[in-house]
Amino acid sequence: MTLNNVWIITDNQNAVGELCGGGRQLGAQVSVVLFGDQNQAKEAIASGADKVFLFEQPENSVMIEAYSKSIAELLRTEKADLAMVYSSIRGKLMAGRIAAQLATSALAISELKVEDGRIITRRMVYGGAAMRTEKTLSETVVVTVGTGVFEAGPKDETRQGTVTAVNPNVASDGIRVLETRPKQGEVVNLSAAKRVVGVGRGFSAKEDLKMAEELAALIGAEMGCSRPIAEGEKWMSKERYIGVSGVFLKADIYVSLGVSGQIQHMVGANPSKTLVAINKDKNAPVFKQADIGLVGDIYHVLPQIIAKLKAQK
Amino acid sequence: MNEERFDAIIVGGGLAGSTAAYVLAREGLEVLLIERGNYAGSKNMTGGRLYAHSLEKIIPNFAAEAPVERRVVRERISMMTQNDAITMDYHSPRLAETGSDSYVVLRGKFDRWLFDKAEEAGAIATAGIKADQLIVENNRVTGVICGGEEMKADVVILADGANSLLAEKAGLRKRVQPSQVAVGVKETYGLPAKVIEDRFGLSSDEGAAWLFAGSPSNGLVGGGFLYTNKESLSLGLVLGLQHIGESSKTIEDMMVDFANHAEIAPFIKDGKLLERSGHIVPEAGLSMVSTLYGDGFLICGDAAGFCLNIGYMVRGMDLAITSGELAAKTVLEAKEKGDFSSASLQSYKRMLDQSFILKDLSVYKNFPAFMENPRIFKQYPAMLSNIMADLFVIDGTPAVPLRKKAMKHLKAVGLMNLAKDGLKGVKSV
Amino acid sequence: MRVISCCKAVPEEQDIVVAKDRQISFEKAEWKFGQYDLNAVEAGKQLVEAAGGQLSGLCAGGNILDNSKMKKDILSRGLDDLYLVIDESLEQADTYQSARVLEAAIKKIGDFDLVLCGAGSSDLYAQQVGNQLGELLGIPVVNAVNRIMPQGDKVIVERALENEIQVLEITLPAVLSVTSEINVPRIPGMKDIIAANKKPVTKFTLSEIEVTNSLPSSTVLSTLAPEQAERRLTILEGESEDIVDAFVKLLRAELK
Ligand SMILES: Cc1cc2nc3c(=O)[nH]c(=O)nc-3n(C[C@H](O)[C@H](O)[C@H](O)COP(=O)(O)OP(=O)(O)OC[C@H]3O[C@@H](n4cnc5c(N)ncnc54)[C@H](O)[C@@H]3O)c2cc1C
Ligand SMILES: Cc1cc2nc3c(=O)[nH]c(=O)nc-3n(C[C@H](O)[C@H](O)[C@H](O)COP(=O)(O)OP(=O)(O)OC[C@H]3O[C@@H](n4cnc5c(N)ncnc54)[C@H](O)[C@@H]3O)c2cc1C
Ligand SMILES: Nc1ncnc2c1ncn2[C@@H]1O[C@H](COP(=O)(O)O)[C@@H](O)[C@H]1O
Repeated sequence: MTLNNVWIITDNQNAVGELCGGGRQLGAQVSVVLFGDQNQAKEAIASGADKVFLFEQPENSVMIEAYSKSIAELLRTEKADLAMVYSSIRGKLMAGRIAAQLATSALAISELKVEDGRIITRRMVYGGAAMRTEKTLSETVVVTVGTGVFEAGPKDETRQGTVTAVNPNVASDGIRVLETRPKQGEVVNLSAAKRVVGVGRGFSAKEDLKMAEELAALIGAEMGCSRPIAEGEKWMSKERYIGVSGVFLKADIYVSLGVSGQIQHMVGANPSKTLVAINKDKNAPVFKQADIGLVGDIYHVLPQIIAKLKAQK
Repeated sequence: MNEERFDAIIVGGGLAGSTAAYVLAREGLEVLLIERGNYAGSKNMTGGRLYAHSLEKIIPNFAAEAPVERRVVRERISMMTQNDAITMDYHSPRLAETGSDSYVVLRGKFDRWLFDKAEEAGAIATAGIKADQLIVENNRVTGVICGGEEMKADVVILADGANSLLAEKAGLRKRVQPSQVAVGVKETYGLPAKVIEDRFGLSSDEGAAWLFAGSPSNGLVGGGFLYTNKESLSLGLVLGLQHIGESSKTIEDMMVDFANHAEIAPFIKDGKLLERSGHIVPEAGLSMVSTLYGDGFLICGDAAGFCLNIGYMVRGMDLAITSGELAAKTVLEAKEKGDFSSASLQSYKRMLDQSFILKDLSVYKNFPAFMENPRIFKQYPAMLSNIMADLFVIDGTPAVPLRKKAMKHLKAVGLMNLAKDGLKGVKSV
Repeated sequence: MRVISCCKAVPEEQDIVVAKDRQISFEKAEWKFGQYDLNAVEAGKQLVEAAGGQLSGLCAGGNILDNSKMKKDILSRGLDDLYLVIDESLEQADTYQSARVLEAAIKKIGDFDLVLCGAGSSDLYAQQVGNQLGELLGIPVVNAVNRIMPQGDKVIVERALENEIQVLEITLPAVLSVTSEINVPRIPGMKDIIAANKKPVTKFTLSEIEVTNSLPSSTVLSTLAPEQAERRLTILEGESEDIVDAFVKLLRAELK
């Protein structure tokens, strides 16, 4: 049994395929809210949308999140059973605001299915220490969904659907966008890397990461890190941190250096086939989940390891 | 912010410090209790047996409320060689009578409870911050410095344990010598309560204390212990540091051999290793007790050297508690007089003299020296074990009269030595 | 500026015990405040230090909040005072229920300019309570805030989106959820801890803040630890040539 009305809300066109794939699987009718142009609407229909509600990009000083109230209104009048919001930062804010309007929670899910007409969700809790399965109770269920949860179906350019332009009068909501500037980021896809060297706070200075980079180069690995290295220290970009709120690896081998191995990190490392860890604290949790471990100071052992690997090259 | 001022600052949230803070706070004094571990007891370790008499006087019936593991009703002592063990087993309800009762405790829980009691009584109890230095002005201790912040008080009670660095840094006492301390290592093995009770012949809440002399310390001064907790066993060794360099085995190896000894292995079988820790034990007895007080400060517990190490047995917790109590009482008196000078605080020494602490320490005054005798830990256990073998091993060879059998083994050690050691041993106790 | 920072008490994940049937238990768990809520406290502290005002903490949760260590812990991080809403049911609250309770408590507290939330609670990490709270209060609300600069009755904030930085001007009062990058929370010193003993704490029951019951959005069917891959646990110890050699051999074998 499927749902009647599945809604998809996304500020990122790249997510349309997967979300529509999921929508088709779950519901009889799939409606998509987009903040873009007709071309994007067409793509959504080809990907499985029956109806597209095209919200016009507001003027520069207004955030698209200001549409939250109107979207909530739309979901209510159209009797949506499920609203899947793409879990971008803007998506999350919209999801929370929409859900509050509908008097329900917004769940960040990693799986979703329909059983006996009820939506069953799964999500990680306690930093990845557990998976929680829930049966939702609300009239309209609001969830945020990232990529990798659903699969995109084949695109069918001949599919038919309606496109409705919506242009509600949005107030600035007390927020004015003064400026938007691009972030200089790098593009890495750590989850595709076969070998990864990850660094943690065991490194005491940014320069010292060179040692890790040298090791990575020697074994042909991509560099990753723990969250504090990316967010607290800002030594590496956010795209490189491994864990429950970061990247999930699918590597053959993950070598962690000076990472304590907190659950939030290990959840992202665990899908790797072989886990190798170096840490100076033999009681570090990382050793409870390692295939191969070395209890030692990275500043002492890493140069030796690098020398040996080089010598035998 | 204004400079903080307290009636008393207590450094160290172990049993000595928390007791002192509790007693003072209960009387309404403004006290600051400082523990460097993330919580009290997090860095402490103990074989595990607390003689209740000390705390009983301060918090009557404490065992009903405190997180104690088991009440000891069974005592065992074993003499061990590599392969053998001779064990004495004493099981008696007398061990459990109020006043002479003792409990196995886990410091992680027990110290925390006492620390919280001090806080409930009104002390400002802080964990996770280390006292870095004493403030000494005109030869008088006036406070402590933590992370660059000064805290002042009329008096500072040092209860910072065996490795008391603060007093040493301030030049109030001499540096502790390796010959004065022993090292303790301990492993905790998790087992279901029922299994523990079955293996040791206990009913629920009852516990056993078991001490070992001989091979566990590989001939060094020291010995082993095994205590029953609620759902785990504490197994460990105490070893004199003085000759550790000459030992043929590392401490780690000794611990492994000890745990694998045929006498022990069945008791810890299937136990899950929960924890491994190490700690220093003052062991020089009375000779180690040095400065106890001075202008604006008092020292109690292990920091003062109040610990009895009788080779295979260490007893310090009850001394720590009572010395903490006496330090607090001294401060209360001093507060009354408004005088925290050395002269005023000397009543601490008087109270200690009258208490069991200095009495017991002086009874065992010569014991540490006696224990230094290598025969005690090497040859005697072997001798006894050989006598036992002759007694119980029947292999068909013609019987030899018992006296002759024993003589053979006694001679191996040397009769003169035996007599000397016997005499010394008796004199030291 | 009158700032309220919202903090949630959570069980220490490291202490969660997983049973054979993958059920999890918190019986032995220590409690602490969410790691990322401390960023909200620190951000509040910095604002108050710069612009003057008062910083309050607000926590909704179970009886654990009444624990004196928990109260002192959060107070020592720079709060001027603390408001607690205590009810055992709150330990299981979902994001909407939590937001409702915080909304009611904030209305009860009365006067405020800014409510700050963390990037996400350490247990659920829904990253939603702040968003929902702002909507319920009917005031401006923004997430992923990386920088806050007070400017009269407004604040200028930087918001870190995936690929862009938005600079926003926000009229107060408002609700902001900050990122974990916004600052490094200070470690309380002894004086902070001593001061925490003397700071006022106000406790509310649910009925005192007149929050009407909101139904849960879902029923929990199960909360189970994920299946763990068996690991070999070959752990070498030491920094000697031999040990490192052995380690490199093992590593090489994996790289074949
Ligand atoms: C909701 C939530 C989500 C989170 N998500 C993530 C996530 O996705 N990814 C993530 O990584 N974290 C995440 N965290 C943070 C996580 O809890 C840990 O704080 C973090 O992973 C710790 O990083 P670390 O191991 O680098 O640092 P630390 O925990 O500080 O560990 C440093 C380690 O280095 C060792 N070390 C120090 N010096 C040396 C030396 N010289 N040689 C060898 N070893 C040394 C130390 O023994 C220690 O074990 C999250 C937290 C929360 C609350
Ligand atoms: C292996 C072993 C077995 C033992 N078995 C027994 C036994 O069975 N029965 C028995 O009665 N006794 C036993 N003892 C002895 C007993 O553990 C000690 O005598 C007792 O712990 C002394 O208590 P204390 O409060 O003086 O010191 P501690 O318990 O050492 O407490 C000192 C406290 O001060 C803190 N501290 C230190 N420096 C600072 C600083 N600068 N700032 C802030 N805090 C600081 C420490 O973290 C610690 O919590 C054993 C000892 C060992 C090592
Ligand atoms: N029960 C609560 N009490 C106080 N603040 C909370 C509570 N729950 C969530 N918060 C705040 O909301 C933020 C986001 O929480 P969450 O949506 O659960 O990830 C947290 O970082 C806190 O700042």
